[in-house]
Amino acid sequence: MGRRLAVPLLLAPSLIILLGVFLLPMLLMLVLSLQNDQQQFSFENYLLFIQDPFYTGILWRTIRVSLWTVLFSLLLGFPVAIYMANASGKVRGIVTMLILAPHLISVVIRNFGWVVVLGEKGWINELLLSIGFIHEPLRLLYNELGVVIGLTDSFIAYMVLAIATSLYSVDQSLSKAAAILGASRIRSFFDVTLPLSLPGIYAGVTLVFSLSMSAFVTPSLMGGTSVKVLPVIAYEQVMSTLNWPLGAALSFLLLGSTILLVALFTRLAETKRYKEVFAS
Amino acid sequence: MKKPSLAGIITVIVLLLVNLPILVIIPSSFTAAGYLSFPPEGFSFRWYAKIFERPEFIDSFWVSLQLAVITAVLAALFGTLAAFALAKYKFRGSQVINSLLLSPLTVPSLIIGIAALLFFTRIGLAGTFAGLLLAHVLISVPYVVRLVLTGLSSFDFTLEKAGYMLGASPARVFWDITLPLLRPAIVSGMIFSFLTSFDNVTVSLFLVAPDTTTLPLAIFSYMQETLDPLVASISSVVILLSLVFIVILEKVYGLDRLFGLQSQSH
Repeated sequence: MGRRLAVPLLLAPSLIILLGVFLLPMLLMLVLSLQNDQQQFSFENYLLFIQDPFYTGILWRTIRVSLWTVLFSLLLGFPVAIYMANASGKVRGIVTMLILAPHLISVVIRNFGWVVVLGEKGWINELLLSIGFIHEPLRLLYNELGVVIGLTDSFIAYMVLAIATSLYSVDQSLSKAAAILGASRIRSFFDVTLPLSLPGIYAGVTLVFSLSMSAFVTPSLMGGTSVKVLPVIAYEQVMSTLNWPLGAALSFLLLGSTILLVALFTRLAETKRYKEVFAS
Repeated sequence: MKKPSLAGIITVIVLLLVNLPILVIIPSSFTAAGYLSFPPEGFSFRWYAKIFERPEFIDSFWVSLQLAVITAVLAALFGTLAAFALAKYKFRGSQVINSLLLSPLTVPSLIIGIAALLFFTRIGLAGTFAGLLLAHVLISVPYVVRLVLTGLSSFDFTLEKAGYMLGASPARVFWDITLPLLRPAIVSGMIFSFLTSFDNVTVSLFLVAPDTTTLPLAIFSYMQETLDPLVASISSVVILLSLVFIVILEKVYGLDRLFGLQSQSH
C-alpha cells in the first residue's frame, strides 16, 4: 500500500467523526448563538448575559466555587505530592493507586456516597449528634460548601499528579544539600521545595480550575436547586426552556470565560517568575 | 520507627477521604431499613432484589454495556489507525492533524453534548443509539490516539521491514509483529474507552431518547427524585464491575502511566 493512499485511509474514520460530531456541531452552535428569535444575526444573547445581573451573578458563583475548589485541592493535594516525591517506589505506587482508583468510578456514584456521608441524616451528622457535639444537624449539602467538597474529591487527583510529576524530576538531594548547609526545615521548604514545585502547582491550578468551571453533575447532585452554576443554567436553557440560541451563547461564554481566566493566571504566573529571575 | 511527618498524616487523611464515598455505599446497600441511615440497620439483600423490580435500571444497564463495548472496539480501532498514520508516515500537516484529533479533550463534555444535540437534530440523529454511540466514540478516540502514539514512539519500524524482507505478507507482519508489540497500549485504550463511555453522564444527557437511557443517567435521574438504599445497591454493583476493570488496567498498563497521559491532555 503506497503512503499516498495509506495516510488518508488510516485517518478517515477518526477525522470523519471529528468533523461530524465535533467541528461542524461547534460551528453550528456558534452560528445559532449569534441569532435572535427572528433568526437574524445579532449579539442579543451575549449582551443579555452581560447586562442581566442574574447571569453575571451565576458566572460569579461559578468562578467562586471553582476558586474554592482550587484552594482546597491545593492545600490538601500539595502535602500528598510532597509525601509521594519523598516516598520509596513501592509506597508511591500504593498512594498512586489509592488516589486514582476511585477516580475511575462514576462521578454520580461518588457524589451519592457523599450524600450518604454529608446529608441531614448522614454519617457525619448522626455521629456528631450521638456524641452530643452538636444539637441540630449541620448543613453540609445542597449549598456551595457541598459542591466544593464534591468537586475537590473529583479533581484533587489532577492536582496531586501535576505537582508530584514536577517534583519527581527534581533532584531530591537538593533539599538534603540545603539541610547540610544548615538551612532549617522551614527555610529549606520555602527556598528549595516550594519554588521547584511551582510549575506543577501552576499546571494543577489551571487544570482543576477549568474542570470545576464546566462541572455539571456534582453541582446538580450536591448543590441541589439552590446552587445553580453556569453549566446547569446552560443545560436548563437547552433542555427545559428550549431556548437553543441562548443555550449556545451560554456554552461559548463558559468556554470563553474559562480560557480568559486561565490565560490571565498564566500571564500573572509568568510575570512573577520573570521578576524572581531578574531580582536575584 | 520514624516519626510520622505532617505530609504523611495529611496523605493518609486525603486517601481516606477520596475513598470514603465508595466505602460508605457498600454497607449502606445491605441495610434492612427502608431508608438510608447511620449506622445501617440490620442486614438484608432486599435492596438488591429491588433492582430487579425496576426495569429502568436493568434496561439501562444493557444499553450502557452495549454502548461501552461498541465504543471501546470502534475507538480502539479508529484511534489505532490514526495513530499509525501519524507515527509511521511523516507527512506535511501531521502536527495539525494530531492537535485536531486531540481537540475534543480541550472542550468540556457538556459543551460537546449541547453542540452534538443541536447538529444531530438537523440531521435526524438526535435521540438515536447511533448518535449516542458516535458521540461516545468521539470523546474516547483522543485517549486511544495518545496511548498508541506513546506506544509507537518507542516502536522500531525496522522490525516490520525485517518481516517483509523475510517474505511475510503485510497482513502477516501486522498480526505477528506490529500488533503484539502494541497490545498493552491498545488494550489500555480499549478499557479506558469502555470506562469513559460506561461512566459518561454529561454527553449522554443531551443525546439519549427516553427508551435508551444509560445506567449512570438513570441513577442520576433517580437520585434527583428519591434517595433510598436502592441507589446504594445498584451503585455497589457498578463499583464491583468498575473495580474489575481498574485492576485489569493497573495490571496491563499501570494507572499512574495512564493518568500521566490523561492530565496532560487538558
